[in-house]
This record gives sequence, C-alpha cells and structure tokens, in this order.
Amino acid sequence: MENQPSPKKFLYWFDPRHRQPGTWAFILNRITALGLTFYLVLHLVVLSNLTKGAEGYDTFLEFARQPVVKFGELLVIAAGLIHGLNGLRVVLTTFGIGVTIQRQVFWMLMALAAIGTAAFAYVMFFVA
Amino acid sequence: MSHERWTVTFIVSRRKGEQPPHFQSFQLEVDPDEYVLDGVERIWAFHDRSLVFRHACHHSTCGACGMLVNGVEKLTCITPIRSVTSNGGKVKVEPLRNFPVISDLSVDMSTFYTRMEETCAPQVVPVRGSALPYEKGLFEQADPAYERLADCIECGCCISACPVAVTTPEYQGPAVLAAAQQAFSLTGHAGLLEKMDGADGVWRCHSGFECTAVCPSNVDPAWRIMDLRRKVIGRRIKRLFGLAK
Amino acid sequence: MAFSKPHIIVIGAGFTGCALAYDLARRGMDVTVIERGEIASGTSGRTHGLLHSGGRYCVSDQESAVECIQENIILRKIARQCIEFNGGLFVALTEEDAAYAPRFAEGAAACGIEIEQISPQEALRLEPNLNPKVLTVFTVPDGSFDPLRLALAFAASGRYFGAQFHPYHEAQVLVFDGQRRVKGVRVLNRTDGSTREVHGDLVVNATGAWAGKVLAGSGAQVNVTPTPGVMVAYDRRLINRPINRLTPPSDGDIIIPQRRMMVIGTTSYEAEDVDYIPVEDEQVQQMYSDAVALVPGVAGCRMRGAYMSARPLVGKGQSGRSLARTFKCFDHLEADGIDGLVTITGGKATTCRVMAEKTADLVCKKLGLSIACETHAYALRSYRDYYTPNGGRP
Ligand SMILES: Cc1cc2nc3c(=O)[nH]c(=O)nc-3n(C[C@H](O)[C@H](O)[C@H](O)COP(=O)(O)OP(=O)(O)OC[C@H]3O[C@@H](n4cnc5c(N)ncnc54)[C@H](O)[C@@H]3O)c2cc1C
Ligand code: SF4
Ligand code: SF4
Ligand code: FES
Repeated sequence: MENQPSPKKFLYWFDPRHRQPGTWAFILNRITALGLTFYLVLHLVVLSNLTKGAEGYDTFLEFARQPVVKFGELLVIAAGLIHGLNGLRVVLTTFGIGVTIQRQVFWMLMALAAIGTAAFAYVMFFVA
Repeated sequence: MSHERWTVTFIVSRRKGEQPPHFQSFQLEVDPDEYVLDGVERIWAFHDRSLVFRHACHHSTCGACGMLVNGVEKLTCITPIRSVTSNGGKVKVEPLRNFPVISDLSVDMSTFYTRMEETCAPQVVPVRGSALPYEKGLFEQADPAYERLADCIECGCCISACPVAVTTPEYQGPAVLAAAQQAFSLTGHAGLLEKMDGADGVWRCHSGFECTAVCPSNVDPAWRIMDLRRKVIGRRIKRLFGLAK
Repeated sequence: MAFSKPHIIVIGAGFTGCALAYDLARRGMDVTVIERGEIASGTSGRTHGLLHSGGRYCVSDQESAVECIQENIILRKIARQCIEFNGGLFVALTEEDAAYAPRFAEGAAACGIEIEQISPQEALRLEPNLNPKVLTVFTVPDGSFDPLRLALAFAASGRYFGAQFHPYHEAQVLVFDGQRRVKGVRVLNRTDGSTREVHGDLVVNATGAWAGKVLAGSGAQVNVTPTPGVMVAYDRRLINRPINRLTPPSDGDIIIPQRRMMVIGTTSYEAEDVDYIPVEDEQVQQMYSDAVALVPGVAGCRMRGAYMSARPLVGKGQSGRSLARTFKCFDHLEADGIDGLVTITGGKATTCRVMAEKTADLVCKKLGLSIACETHAYALRSYRDYYTPNGGRP
C-alpha cells in the first residue's frame, strides 16, 4: 500500500527538500561512503597492475600526474574527511555529547573538512 | 484573528476506498490568522461534505490533526495560514507519511498507539522533572506533588518525518523511543532498555534530527533517543562487569 | 441466562456516546457506535478541559454542582490516566467579587464541595504568577483533563466489553419498521462512500448540538440552539491549577493549565449553524484581557491557538419531559409517540459518566431489563487500547 513504509522508498533518503542538516549529513555520508567504496575497488585494481613490473609503475606515475587525476584524488580526500568527521558527530551524539548543539557541531566539522581539503589541494597543486 | 482577507487555494489529497489518491483544489476566502485546520474544516462544512480528516481539541493537546502542509509535518490546529502561504498562494495538505491512510487526510494510528502502550509511558507525569533536562529553570521550583499531562501528544509528526521509518515498518520510531526514555527515567524499569536495545530500536536511528525539527510539543525525540542510547550502553557495560542482571 | 443480547445503536461518539457505549456494553449489551468523524471531533474534543469541582455552580445551580463534585471524585478514580489534578483556586479581584464570597462558601458547603479559604499571601505562594491584587481566595478540588484521551478511555473500555465503534460513519436517516418504531439507521461510510442499514433494538441519539439535525424528518424532535464558546490557548504554563474568578458564572472567568499551556475560557452566545462557527477577533481580545486580569504574566505569552465549540441549548418550547434537569434525556415514545428512540444531550464532560448511567437505566427500562450500573467502581482501560487491534483484550 502506498504511504506505508517500504524498503523501496530508500530514494526518499536523497530528497533534501524540507530536511534538516542532520539529513543532509546522512545523505552526504551515504554518497561519500559509496564514493569511498568505489575508490577502494579502483585502488585495488590499480595496485594489482603494479604487480606487472616496473614499467607498469612508471606509466602509472605518469598517469597520476595529470591534473584530472589529482582532482579525483582530492575528491577522495574530501569524501574521507566528510565521512570521518560526520561519523565522529554520530558517535558523539550517541554518547550524549553535544546533542543540543548538533547542528553547530555539524557545520563546524564540515568547515573543518573544507579547510582540510583546501590544505591538501594547496599541497597537491602548488607544493608537490 | 484579524479582519484581513486572503484568497488561498487549498490543494487537498483525496482518497476513497481502494481508489488511487488524487489532489483536489478548493479556493477559499480566509482570515490569514486562522489555522490550516480551520480551512480544512471549512472545506468540509461548505464545499465538500465527503472530506475526511482527524481532529479533536483544536489547541494542540490531543495530537489528532497532524498533516503534511506544503510537504512539512504540521499540527494543523496551531499552524496559522499566514505562516505557510501568502495572499493568492497555495496550501497543499496531505496525510502524514508512514501511516496507512483511512481516507483523504486521516490515517490509522493503531500500530503507533500499540507501540506507545507497550512502553507504558504515562500521560500524567510529575511537573518537576517533566521538562527536558537541558531546559534550565523550567518548572524547577514547582511543588513535587504537582503533576501535568506529558509533552508527547502522540501526533505522529515525528514518525512521518523520520527517514528511517520511511523504509522499514519494523522501526519503533522516534515517539516510541522517546516515550521509552521518559518511562525509563520515571520508573527505572530495565525491561524497557532491553526492548529498545536492538536493530529496530535505538540503533536504527541515524541521527538526522528530523523528528525534533517537526515535533510541535517540545518532546525533542532525537535528544531522548541519544539519551536512551547512552542508558542502553551504560547497562551493557554494567552487565559486562556483572553489575546488572 | 438465556437471553439474546439486545443490540443498541448509539449515534455520536463524544463524551456522552463513548461513556454510554461503555456502560451499555458493560451491562452485557451489543453496542454499535456510529460517529461521523474521529472520536470526540464534535464539541467534546474542543472543550475547555476543566474537571469541574462544582464550585462554578454551587450558588446558581446546586443540583449541577452536586453532580459535578460526585463525578469529579469518581473520574479521579477511574480516569486518572488523563487528568492532571492539582486542585484549583477561586479568586476575588474586586470588592464586588469579594462580596460574593460568603454566598460561595455557603453554596459549596451545601453541595459538599471541600473548599478552604486561604490568605492572599498563601495563594501567591501556591501560584506565584497570580494577580498580586487578589482579595479573597478559596481552594477547590478542580482538575484539568485531556479531552480526546478522556473520550478514548471510555471508548477503549467500551471496546473491551465488545462495543463496536465505526468512526467516519455518518447516520443519514432513521429507519422505521412501518409503524412508529425505529428499527435502525441508514449509515454512510465516509471513507468509501458506501451506505448500508444497521438494525438494532433501540437507537440512542447522542449527537449533542447536532441532536436536532439528526432527527430532522423523522417525526421526532429536539429543538437545539447551538451556543458556542471561545477559548484561547497560550504557550506557557504559568500556573499549576485552574484559576476561577470568584463571581457569578460569566465570560472568560476560568484559566486552566494543560501540558505546557494555559487555556482561558469561555464565552457564550447563540449561533445558527453548528458545523462551522468562526472565532471572532473581538472574542479573542476579550479572552486575552480576562486572562491578564487573573494571571498578568499572560501578557508575556504567545497565543498558541484559538478555538470554539458549541453547547446544545435545548429550546424552551421543547415538548416532552427530560429525565433529568442537569442534562436532557428524552424517550421519544413519551415526547413524540415514536418508539425505539432515545435522545441524550447537554450536560458536561465532567458528568458524562452519570449521564450515561441514567440513559442506560432508561434503555434497560424500555427493554424490560434490570441490570445495575458498575461504571463508577472500575478504572477505565488505557485510552491507547481504543486503537489497538482487539481493544486490549488478550
Ligand atoms: C465552550 C465549551 C466549554 C466547555 N468546557 C467544559 C469544561 O471545561 N468542563 C466540562 O466538564 N464540560 C465542558 N463543556 C461541556 C462539554 O464539552 C459537553 O457537555 C460535551 O462535550 C458534550 O458531549 P456530547 O458527546 O454530548 O456531544 P459532542 O461531543 O458534540 O458529540 C456529538 C457527536 O455526534 C457526532 N455527530 C453529529 N451528527 C452525526 C451524524 N449524523 N452521524 C453520526 N455522528 C454524528 C458529532 O461528530 C460529535 O462527535 C464545555 C462546552 C463548551 C461548549
Ligand atoms: S533522529 Fe532518528 S528517529 Fe529522529 S528522524 Fe532521524 S532517524 Fe528518525
Ligand atoms: S514526539 Fe512530538 S512529534 Fe512525535 S508524536 Fe510525540 S508530540 Fe508528536
Ligand atoms: S486538533 Fe488536537 S492537536 Fe490539533
């Protein structure tokens, strides 16, 4: 019957209309989790390539210097920061810490994630 | 209440028997300080006698009138029309999500009320300590003998807004967990912790705080769920060291 | 006992209909309740919520006052689950109010209402937000209740004893057996638009302010004038017990606490149509100033809701004798020569149990039965059981 709970309705999770930061956090966590999982698979595939010898390694390093790839890596870092810091917030609230200021905590942690990402970007594109 | 007059279009979700739901529009002249429920009742009184909706107290003490107003859970009897639309605007009214629809705007509360009953949460509680612990100074000076009706009016708004409740009917739901938290605080009955310590209890909640955002009655279910988690963990730890049965 | 259970149809599930369904079912009858909306969606849901001690009536209408205090004591026992009971105060604000005090004290004593005069200082200690200018203060055993839950508790208890409730079902016309005897009701199921006839041994019209409308065209009659009253809720709880103005009953003279709110009421005027009566700005303003007079802190509160509900004022030219003076109960055989039909209307939420008792007594008498009422002696079932699939029965 419609209007009743159903696992098929999980898409509703990604509907941000009329929703609170808590749900955006939840959406972000789903998306970053999917992204990180995808990256992990990719990472393993690439690593397995390395077993094919030094030549493979060199071409790979060449490939990894491209800006597009660097940008991809930056996304991975951002996802890791968002996911991890968000997870921290869930743990904190679960232990009853900062429940009444969870919104502020969320924005603070996301700001941290943004700063972290920016720092990495600086290092990746300008220092290294 | 004012002497101002607005023309507002109510877009009302209709459903009879097994027929699929559809929307029907009604144009009303309203006083913008009237409440959304007044508009709905007027549609029933003057435009369409077949409209079915739940209501009783009209002053936010019974919890019967929860509906989706422009997509957000509202207690319609205390939601001024002014706060949800403008002159010439629209008010879209739908039944709460995650409850079976009986007809039009009214939903079936049986599963929810059965779960509330299972927590044995009382409606009448001591005034002192009846507010949330972080609400400083509220009712604190009251005589310990005074009592009052509890905050949760069992309106179901939180369950409608909860993104977990949308995917699983087994989830106890924010109001029920909050009731368990309050009942436990009053009675110390450990069985409640056990009942809520599970995949369909406190651990299912993903801390979205939607429930707290829509609760019209200061229950703060999300805070209570987090508090209940802490109590559940505390009990598990004690049990680990053989301090509790 | 070899007797086929009589089947009673009750129209209307306000306090009266719910309490009656419970009483009849408890006496062993088959009961079907037909209610157009949700339980308590008429006048009952929208009452002020004062569990009367009888103090309000102890001078002007002692019979009502006695009934109130008796029922107040019973409800406190059987419906504890939805009543906040902190006692109440009657306060005099003017010399004129204070002059009413001796009559009030005398009336209360005559009606058996336990009151106590306390000093203004003591009153302000009990209720620090009370108007500091109070002159004379009495304590009374008032309380406040949750309207929907009180009705649900009676309905749940009715279901426990087998009563069937049909919310969202509207009684359209009475069905006669060819003579002047009602054999049932034609009912519209408002959730799907279908109609059917429900037959029974007796129909009780418990539709309050709608009692006249339901009988329209049947030959039976009750002349009801809806007399609405406005109430305003504020968003803070500055008092812990109902505060009544110590004067002869008038508008805006009672403020009650409920949950985190305060509700001030009420007015009284006559209206034409019961189905929708708008709340006028002037009345809201009047309620506000009356509330501020009793509890000045109301000025710092936000209005949370304004609403009204209609009392059934039974017309003066009414034919037929009412069974009781405090509420109206007619056997239409006596009034209009129509058998199988009883109307019960009027009264108060506080006295709904005894209204049901008297009506169920009449039903028994009409059916030639003598079964005693027991509703005063047992606690009601949990109100939540009304919604549980089998009414809380194992
Ligand atoms: C302003 C105000 C304040 C009050 N305050 C208090 C108070 O503080 N304390 C107190 O003790 N009492 C109070 N009362 C009195 C009390 O509210 C009423 O006595 C009581 O609610 C009457 O209940 P009832 O069941 O007779 O009527 P109702 O509650 O009106 O029940 C009648 C039911 O019949 C239904 N109905 C109508 N037509 C049909 C139909 N054709 N088919 C099926 N169903 C139908 C309606 O939907 C309604 O639910 C107050 C009354 C008013 C007006
Ligand atoms: S905090 Fe938990 S219970 Fe509340 S809406 Fe989110 S998932 Fe649901
Ligand atoms: S917790 Fe709040 S939103 Fe949920 S049922 Fe209770 S009052 Fe309604
Ligand atoms: S009608 Fe009772 S809460 Fe809105």
